Amino acid sequence: MTRLPRFRDLPVTVRVPLVTAALMIVLGLVASQIVLAALGRVQDARLSETARLHLEGLSVALGPPVLRQDVWEVYDILDRARAAFDGQRLLLTVVADERGRVLAATDPRRAPVGESVAGFEAGAVAPDAVRMTGGTVLRVIAPLGYQGRDVGRIVTELDVTDLLAERRAVAVWLLFGNAVATAVLAFGGWLAVARILRPVGALVRAMDGSKGAPRPIGEAEIPRGDPGLARLIDTYNRMTTAVEERGQAERRLSERERFVSLGRLSSSLAHEVNNPLGGLLNAADTIRTYADRPEVVRESAELMQRGLVHLREVTRAILDQNRLDRAGQVLRPEDFEDLRLLFAPEAQSRDQALDWRIEAGAEALASQPAAPVRQVALNLLLNAGAVAGHEGRVGLVVTNGGDGLSIEVSDSGAGLSPADLGRLMASGPLPPGGGVGLRLVHDIVAGLDGRLSHHRTGAETVIRVDLPIAGNADA
Amino acid sequence: MQCTRRALLAGVAILAAPRVRAQTPSSFRFALTPVFLDNDASVIMALRAALATGMGQEIELVQRRTYQEISGAVLDGSVDAAWTCGYPYLQHRAELSLLGVPVWRGRPLYQSYLVVAADDPASGLEDLCGGAHAFSDPDSNSGFLVTATDLVRMGEVPERFFSRVIFTYGHRNVVRAVAGGLTRSGSVDGYVWETLSVAEPDLTARTRIVSRSEWLGFPPFVARSDRTAEPAVSACGAALLGLDQTDEGRAALQRLYLDSVAAAAPSLFDGIAARLAVLGGG
Repeated sequence: MTRLPRFRDLPVTVRVPLVTAALMIVLGLVASQIVLAALGRVQDARLSETARLHLEGLSVALGPPVLRQDVWEVYDILDRARAAFDGQRLLLTVVADERGRVLAATDPRRAPVGESVAGFEAGAVAPDAVRMTGGTVLRVIAPLGYQGRDVGRIVTELDVTDLLAERRAVAVWLLFGNAVATAVLAFGGWLAVARILRPVGALVRAMDGSKGAPRPIGEAEIPRGDPGLARLIDTYNRMTTAVEERGQAERRLSERERFVSLGRLSSSLAHEVNNPLGGLLNAADTIRTYADRPEVVRESAELMQRGLVHLREVTRAILDQNRLDRAGQVLRPEDFEDLRLLFAPEAQSRDQALDWRIEAGAEALASQPAAPVRQVALNLLLNAGAVAGHEGRVGLVVTNGGDGLSIEVSDSGAGLSPADLGRLMASGPLPPGGGVGLRLVHDIVAGLDGRLSHHRTGAETVIRVDLPIAGNADA
Repeated sequence: MQCTRRALLAGVAILAAPRVRAQTPSSFRFALTPVFLDNDASVIMALRAALATGMGQEIELVQRRTYQEISGAVLDGSVDAAWTCGYPYLQHRAELSLLGVPVWRGRPLYQSYLVVAADDPASGLEDLCGGAHAFSDPDSNSGFLVTATDLVRMGEVPERFFSRVIFTYGHRNVVRAVAGGLTRSGSVDGYVWETLSVAEPDLTARTRIVSRSEWLGFPPFVARSDRTAEPAVSACGAALLGLDQTDEGRAALQRLYLDSVAAAAPSLFDGIAARLAVLGGG
């Protein structure tokens, strides 16, 4: 069960040569078997022919002496035949009379005259039936006929050591040759497949190269000779361009959203700034009118100072929200005070009740970067303020959430539309229409390895952001 | 069995003779037994050439398988002279006359050897009881008579003493039978064994001499007694006795490992006659 998936996990450039090699091995085995079988048939035919010629030749000469039971004549014929075949495959020839007693043999010590021939007949076959059995000695038997009668029999032992050696040598050479051929073809297959699949490899590398940002493949790497692959890579290159353009569009939208938020803020802040300005102008008139009354001047100066301090704080908060050099600074309780300062006029303009609770300690806040968390909280608050409507309710609760920081933004609005939920919770393409503030929240939280959750309880919508302690995302 | 075979072979020889003679009526027909000259055609050719030169006449060498056939051929006149063995000469002593006897190693004598395989522990004839034995020819002195008479003296006969008796019709074949293990022992012409030990040492090295007989008359050249006066026969005798006088004769004798051919009296074969008497008495 485990081998197949492992094989499947191998790269195609390895799998295809392996399959080729396996097929070559099978082919080699089949071819070897065919060659060996053919060789076996040839050897059997040679053996059969040798045995038949030997026995037939001897039969002609041996008929009369066997009929006469002439031991010497039989021996003389066998001995001279053996001398003629000297060094060849005839090991022993035994001639017996019709009663199965040895008349003579080429080696009388092995087959003494008068002994039974039965021991030599064991395993003996007719010349036409002789086959290579793996043994080095084969026995062949034939009847000895003369003048139409069966006068005895003749048994010959054939030495097939050379034939076995020949078969072994052929088998070894076949094995060696097939092994070399398989190795060469497997290597060639690997080279060919690797060459064929090189554009695919380049495609895979281009897609995996940089996380989530596929890079296009250079023109030089596109195999124009393979129209299918070339079309595939061209399509891929067009896709990478489209993805890049989409990313740039999203970045532009985010920046625009940032200025949209600021625009919305600045209108309420203008009102916020304008209010103290009236008091400040009155105080200035009072000082001018009652310049000789020190207590009135002092009172008016204090009033002016409070108004100016308020204005200074508002401008500082705006600057803090938009300063670029805050990157890298950690979150502090003051950041939430700034947010309140920025958001409170927005809420007041709609007569909304603001539930503002910063329960997390400075230590927990310091584990988070200031700029992105402020952006997340501000975007959620602006969204909550927009949907809560006139005299609605907006809440911000910041707590120590387990191992990290939890930010809950609630509102008494009608709840998020599916499009807004899609922007906030999903990573897919932006639904048409609407801003990108909520998607910005989603991306920032994802970048901080945080988790977004949304639930609606009764008439209240709660969006919760859980941020792990920086550097502890996996905990 | 032997009588049947002898009669059959003699019959074959007699029937064949007129036909052969008819083919070459003018040549002198000289019979040789292959008993000891069966493996070297050049020896036979050399002997024929030497005799032809000595006689001034074409010689036709006739080879037969057995002494029985040779004797029959001489007696029926189908051959004019023959090189045979002392035993058949004595068997037909009344009809045959000696033309000469080869001299081997200085004497017209030879021995019969009893041989066994080189690794056989036997030390004498008595140790060979129950084994197979190879004779060369039932009419051979060294290849049958000597051992047969020795057995008779021991109160035995070959067919009973040995488990099996075979006739190889050639002294060289006796050596082959023993060397190859077909028989345990064999009776062989000592002259042939010694000659083979030079010509084919590998063959004789596989055999061992267990015993040697007394010195006996060497196989003689014979002709029918009633034809010795014929010019051709007497010329043949003269050519044989003068072999060592000509180059061709000496070359033939050298190939035969013989010194010369000498005139001899029938008494040279008294030793064989004595053994023949033993066999007849047994």
